[in-house]
Amino acid sequence: MELLLPLVASLLIGAGVFLVLSRALIRLILGVAFISYGVNIAILLAGEGERHDAPPLLQLPGPHNDPLPQALILTAIVISFATTALLLVLALRAYQVTGTDHVQELADRPDPARPVVVYADPEYPSVSPEIGTANDVDAGGEGADT
Amino acid sequence: MNVLVLPVLLPLLGGSVLLVVRRSAARRGVATAFATATLLASLAVALPTFRGQVLVAQMASWAAPFGISLVADGLSGMLLLGSNVLALLTVVFAGSSLQHAPVRGGSALLNRARDAFGAQALLQFLFMGVNMSFLTGDLFNLFVAFEVMLVASYGLLLLGGELPQLREGLRYVVINLVASSLFVAAAGMVYGLIGSLNMADIAERVAAHGADVRITLLAALLALVFATKAAVFPLGFWLPNSYPVPPAAVSAYFAAVLTKVGVYALIRTFTLMFAGQGALVAVLLALAGVTMLAGALGSVARRRWRHAMAFANVASIGYLVAGAFAGTRAGMAAALYYLLNSVIVIFVLFLVAALAERIAGRSYRRHGHLGAYPWLGAGFFVGALALTGLPPTSGFVGKFALLQALLAAGGPLHAGVAVAAVVTGLLLLYAVMRIWREFFWGEADAVHRVAIPRGMSAVTAAAVVLLLALALFAGPIYRLSERVAGQLDGNAAYRAAVLVPDAPPREGAH
Repeated sequence: MELLLPLVASLLIGAGVFLVLSRALIRLILGVAFISYGVNIAILLAGEGERHDAPPLLQLPGPHNDPLPQALILTAIVISFATTALLLVLALRAYQVTGTDHVQELADRPDPARPVVVYADPEYPSVSPEIGTANDVDAGGEGADT
Repeated sequence: MNVLVLPVLLPLLGGSVLLVVRRSAARRGVATAFATATLLASLAVALPTFRGQVLVAQMASWAAPFGISLVADGLSGMLLLGSNVLALLTVVFAGSSLQHAPVRGGSALLNRARDAFGAQALLQFLFMGVNMSFLTGDLFNLFVAFEVMLVASYGLLLLGGELPQLREGLRYVVINLVASSLFVAAAGMVYGLIGSLNMADIAERVAAHGADVRITLLAALLALVFATKAAVFPLGFWLPNSYPVPPAAVSAYFAAVLTKVGVYALIRTFTLMFAGQGALVAVLLALAGVTMLAGALGSVARRRWRHAMAFANVASIGYLVAGAFAGTRAGMAAALYYLLNSVIVIFVLFLVAALAERIAGRSYRRHGHLGAYPWLGAGFFVGALALTGLPPTSGFVGKFALLQALLAAGGPLHAGVAVAAVVTGLLLLYAVMRIWREFFWGEADAVHRVAIPRGMSAVTAAAVVLLLALALFAGPIYRLSERVAGQLDGNAAYRAAVLVPDAPPREGAH
């Protein structure tokens, strides 16, 4: 255990960094997830280092692990779960709009002159009536700029 | 109930209420009401701190090292008040700008959809995260506050789903997720090594621990995280392209406040938690000089309104970090005054950019708009003077004090950063002069008369008035900065207020 967990943590973080540097969106997201797993294990190790006596109100035979790093990890897991979900939706949307999951191609794609609004079904734009209509565009066009 | 929790709870409540309000006009009213209430609450927090008090609230009455403390000293008070004034202005501006097209020729539809799908609610959650970052006295709680702030900012950056938003949003989200992973790792290791997460307690224990390379490494890790958030060179490459993509009000608040939260965390790390890390402070000072130059060069190079302003923001971050890490009390005082100046001036310039984009599109190469829009020109003129640091604006006061402090500190590094500051000022002057020449000055090619919504112009005018007030009341505000800088030097009052001496003895093995 003393050697295994640090190895696993560093392996996960290393794999995560490798994947984050790759060019496919889905690998990038997996990389971010791996980094957060590795970090969680690293925090667990930070709490394992010292053996503690029984907690103040309990009279159980010790030694005990410090429970606080586990609470930290729990918080971190919840947050990384939510942000990974957001990142997946973002990647899916980027793929739907641009048709590519390659980071470089995505970055090279020029900005459209007008904002593009893509609806799943062009016949029925998914906008509620209180907002306005699809024809509600200010007059005038935008010239070329750099 | 302690007044310290209000700046965190009110935006949370406001955001939750805004999620269920259906009508757009009602949403605007509710958002403005909550932003006003938050501003009043932060005034109630800030005023005692300006008199030198340190306010503390122990959550659930757990004594200091065990529970989470909310702490407000002078630094927190200044930033809390400044950011909440801008929050109110942002809410009013967004209420107006989200009803109209973002740029000339754009569609109002998308902005109205943003409004309908929770832009105002996300803004409130963003304010909650920012206020919590300024108030918390706990390292892990700071991480949580950063996450609240960042998740709200992801939402605001992506809401609308345009191609630039998706592209830049992806970059922004990935950079911030990696930085957050490092932050949580650093927090865990600080706990593992030092045995506490309470900032004041960390300060005591680090001082007792003595010099240790592991502590330096932890401080370096935290510096890496916060420098990424603050967009210090070379970690700030994500900022200049991502801040111009959300709607105008949002990007103005992002640029004015979010990067300063990173600077705030850097100041807290190196004055309170890990004081006396001379080598790291010198590295940050050197990077600050490079940050200024990089920002100013980028500002000269870009042809789009908000891109140029985003680079100007990077340059002002460089000034802030240079002052804060000059290592002297005078430098810190100059940095604090410049912080207020920078927050407001960047806000003004982004609002002016938003109005100009509405008039003539995203590029500023349009010529001859001064005749048709003299007041916009006046607002830009004041903002540009304050950005470059020319008298009689507040930017001059801040930069003059900063240069004085850097030169007084002595040493080749300080002198080098002072030279970089002067060169940056000249480059920024060139950048704003070019915008002035190409957008306001000259023969009009084709000036479009676009009606500017009253809410947008009123907020811009109010922000310019704030900027002028900062110059007019430079004396009292500068004295306040000096007092706060004195408080940050050693942080004795902060530590004494948080760690009450007659707290029950610590249980456990430490």
